[in-house]
Amino acid sequence: MVEKGSNKIQSIIRACRIILRMVEVDPNARESQKKYYRMLLQYFTRLRDAQENGQFIAAHTVFFPSEIILAMDLVPMHTETTTWMISLFTGECSDILAAGVREGMATEICAPHRGMTGAFANGSIPKPDVMLWSNMVCDNTAKSGELVMDICDCPGYFLDRPFKNSDLEKAYFADEVRDMIAFLETQSGKKMDYNRLSEIAETTNRQINLTREINELRKNVPSPFSPLGFLELLTIDYLFPGQPESVDYLETLKKELTQAVAEKKGAVPNERFRLMTLFIPPMYLMAFLDRLSRESGAVSVIEPFFTFWGEGNLDPSKPVEAVAEKSYMIPEARMYGPLGNTALETMKQCVLDWKVDGAVFYADVGCRHSCATIKLFKDTLADVDVPMLTIDCDVVDQTVTTEEEVTEKMERFFELLEDR
Amino acid sequence: MNNLQQQNAPSSLEVFHVVNQTFPETAEIREWRNKGNKVYGWLCTYVPEEIIHAAGILPIRITGYDRETELVDSDAYLYTNNCSFSRSCLQMGLAGEYKFLDGVVGGSTCDGARRLFDLWRQYIGTPFYHVLTVPRKYTDSALRLYLAEVEQFKAHLEEHLGVSITDEALTASIELYNQTRSLLKELYNLRKLPQPSITGAQVMEVTDACFRMPKERFNVHLSALLEELKESTVTYSGRARLMLSGSVLANPDFIGAIEEQGGLVVADELCTSTRYWGDMVDNSGKEPPLAALARRYLNNYPCARMFPSEERFSRIVQTAKDHHVDGVISEIIRYCVPYAHDLPLLTDRLKEADIPVLSIDLEYGSSGSGQIATRVQAFLEMIEAKKNG
Amino acid sequence: MLAVGVDIGNLTTKAVVMNGSKLLASSVIQTLDEADASALSAMNKAFEFAGEEPAVKKLVVTTGAGGKEVSFADRSKAITTCLARGISWCKPGIRLVIDIGAESSTVVKMNGRGRVVDWANHDKCASGTGLFLQQMARLMKLSFEEMSELSREASQGAEISGTCAVFAESEVISHVHRVPPTPMPDIILGIYLSVSTRIKSMCKRVGMENPLAISGGVALHEGFVQNLEKEIGEPIYVPENPVCIAAIGAAILAGEEINKDALK
Repeated sequence: MVEKGSNKIQSIIRACRIILRMVEVDPNARESQKKYYRMLLQYFTRLRDAQENGQFIAAHTVFFPSEIILAMDLVPMHTETTTWMISLFTGECSDILAAGVREGMATEICAPHRGMTGAFANGSIPKPDVMLWSNMVCDNTAKSGELVMDICDCPGYFLDRPFKNSDLEKAYFADEVRDMIAFLETQSGKKMDYNRLSEIAETTNRQINLTREINELRKNVPSPFSPLGFLELLTIDYLFPGQPESVDYLETLKKELTQAVAEKKGAVPNERFRLMTLFIPPMYLMAFLDRLSRESGAVSVIEPFFTFWGEGNLDPSKPVEAVAEKSYMIPEARMYGPLGNTALETMKQCVLDWKVDGAVFYADVGCRHSCATIKLFKDTLADVDVPMLTIDCDVVDQTVTTEEEVTEKMERFFELLEDR
Repeated sequence: MNNLQQQNAPSSLEVFHVVNQTFPETAEIREWRNKGNKVYGWLCTYVPEEIIHAAGILPIRITGYDRETELVDSDAYLYTNNCSFSRSCLQMGLAGEYKFLDGVVGGSTCDGARRLFDLWRQYIGTPFYHVLTVPRKYTDSALRLYLAEVEQFKAHLEEHLGVSITDEALTASIELYNQTRSLLKELYNLRKLPQPSITGAQVMEVTDACFRMPKERFNVHLSALLEELKESTVTYSGRARLMLSGSVLANPDFIGAIEEQGGLVVADELCTSTRYWGDMVDNSGKEPPLAALARRYLNNYPCARMFPSEERFSRIVQTAKDHHVDGVISEIIRYCVPYAHDLPLLTDRLKEADIPVLSIDLEYGSSGSGQIATRVQAFLEMIEAKKNG
Repeated sequence: MLAVGVDIGNLTTKAVVMNGSKLLASSVIQTLDEADASALSAMNKAFEFAGEEPAVKKLVVTTGAGGKEVSFADRSKAITTCLARGISWCKPGIRLVIDIGAESSTVVKMNGRGRVVDWANHDKCASGTGLFLQQMARLMKLSFEEMSELSREASQGAEISGTCAVFAESEVISHVHRVPPTPMPDIILGIYLSVSTRIKSMCKRVGMENPLAISGGVALHEGFVQNLEKEIGEPIYVPENPVCIAAIGAAILAGEEINKDALK
């Protein structure tokens, strides 16, 4: 550990409060948006106050079954999302990225992981009581835990999430989850409340069904949901999986979108381009992209790997199995596991069902496994006559691409779409 | 190999050198195929090769081009932020150089490998295709899952080929492969000596050839080499004894470049060397052959993907000690994520054992010249200064 | 009504005047400090060549780095759209155009109707651009013609880093000072290859398709174009006025707008 960073959680909270205040007085803002920012505020405030309140902080990586943490009444810290939020709300990540490099991380290691390691090392985020991680969805996630354990001097658990969607592998994963629960019970001194876990599974079902219904509403022309609103849909599952707050947010959103559809009111004043978004736009460009989208009449109508859930529902009577099952139903699950024709057919079907004009692929320079799909997805979409724009960027590192570059690329792409 | 090494090289090394130079158009492979036999390509040390062998197929390892080369086609498919190893393999595949393969088998081992296989299936297409799920842990539960995967692989092979792979056939294949491992172990033991009769670059010629030719032939050639080395009066010493550790590496010139400067490479820990042949399969009959295979392959000298990393670290430290190593050169391919993540903790572990580490990042197939040579030079000087007090 | 296309690049500004489908004149000037001044100057020069009064009725479409800053433009369009339109007008049926400009290189793929389908560009640094070739030429004190001549005598391309122009420059210097020095033709071929590799990468990203064409100042560098053809393995069409392709495309778009208005 070299220098002490500022407490970035406090920065996130401050920024959230400001945005919440703005949203609360904005007549055009959605009620669901207000709920969303309140949720973020709640999450990070709880995290900030956890140590003071003597609560147990369990840090975990992305696509990790954090329902377990919530069911045991521990405080979760989603490491990647926290790093994203630092980028999103402060626009500045260079200090934590540099701190990550000082810990010995190669610069090729994706920025969210370099950033989170650096943030632990320089005190920008609180040290957890345990570090939990899995190999969902890539090597960076799979390998990030041990160094964090070393830096934070805390115990940890690696959850091995197998590769294929088979009964045997799901059973293995469920066993892993059981083993992890035992570990957490020992570490935290708290017992797993299986009733609560069942409730979470049930609430997750409602959450998933509502998301599906919301996606159905987005099929409408014009689409009622804001250009980058899908990020809210992602974040609520990352931070509040199977929680009543998520259901409340989604029910509110569904009402709003249903009304908008009835009034034939689109999210953008003059909808010209219905886009499929592949992967995540840079956090620090969100406000800019929202503005650009509105000015150009572009709206993201579906995100097959981020908001389009797999089929089926969870069985609350078997809570541990439900946790395992969910891991195979999340939209991103298609990115792990053999990338076969099913995932590609799903993409093509999404194009038809959501009447997609064009796709935008945010090629994060640190994300190897997603960039390896660029050509594959481009060719797949070409089969259904949908052009794809590739934007080389980084989800949190603001030095990789600029607003000018992105504007130029988007403009060329919109012209391409109009010319057809 | 540098000139000096080449001049003094044992003559029985030549056959391995030829295999590596001509691969994949080797005489052995051509001969095998002319007889109407099949060849399968495999990738990653978690593919149980003996099963392929027991099915009567020649397994050869997919390794891409040994030298750094232009990768324009695979850059478009895998993108430039995937390791140059996976891109090199895909480039060869796209260029049709693996057209002769009747099947490809891989493991869910790392992002580069799994995307390589995804794209291979979509764009190259080989008659037989299989990917095994490989757990990342060593627990009983993980072993059970891996065994199930191995069983499924065997069943898939049997179905595709219309053959039955008997326990007898498996036992025989394991016996053969164990012999290979045992011979290689003998070769590596020679490197523990204060003045070995073989260099690191020469050993890489041997280990590379190992997964590029029928083991039956290889064992004969390696036995001959070991005989010749026993009689040999040639010895090598260097300014320092080094261990090479890190990402997949198959270019002997890289090791040659280090040795040219006086850093004798007496040990290595690579996908293409000890992580490949490292451990024996328990063929005693305690377990059925498939179970024995699964146990060995999962617990073999670990890849950085496995958890906990301490398993790999302790083996590296032990190897370094056994081979009386003065320093470790860590070579990591750019975007080789699992190994990059391990490096900070591994460096600490080696520091505790008083072993300095030179960390190099490079591209697959690097010849070790230029900047790298300069840094090796500095590392050797540092070690010498340390030795001289 | 005349159709005018102006491409305001970082180094040069090109203007093209068309009347219907007839190209009346084109001009190239050094880009001035102000986009308006550059566009105006280039346009007026083109009118002069065409024998037209500057005050004639016209519709102006601009493109290029300074395209959006021209206050009197009726429309500004992306360079990719203009390149596709422009090359398709020069030679209908072209499916891929490689534009190697002063400071950036772009590959644009189009369908049979000259509509952009995809593109890839490189503008992060000098490698693979006209600037790089110019830098190298200056370093070796040769003109492009001399470079082209010498390159034909090359036996083997000298190893030159394909990824960074700064490293490439020091590599060229070390080739010249080597004992014995690397033959000049081989150095030149090595330089060509490092640019061609980058161009090839971009072509692969969009997916190679023929027939191909080249545009931008570098199209006049014969030796390089021949090497690029060899590396890609396809013939490359060199238009008559390679520097003005985007401006031609902009003029075509201006013409399309004029026709659209006329139909109203």
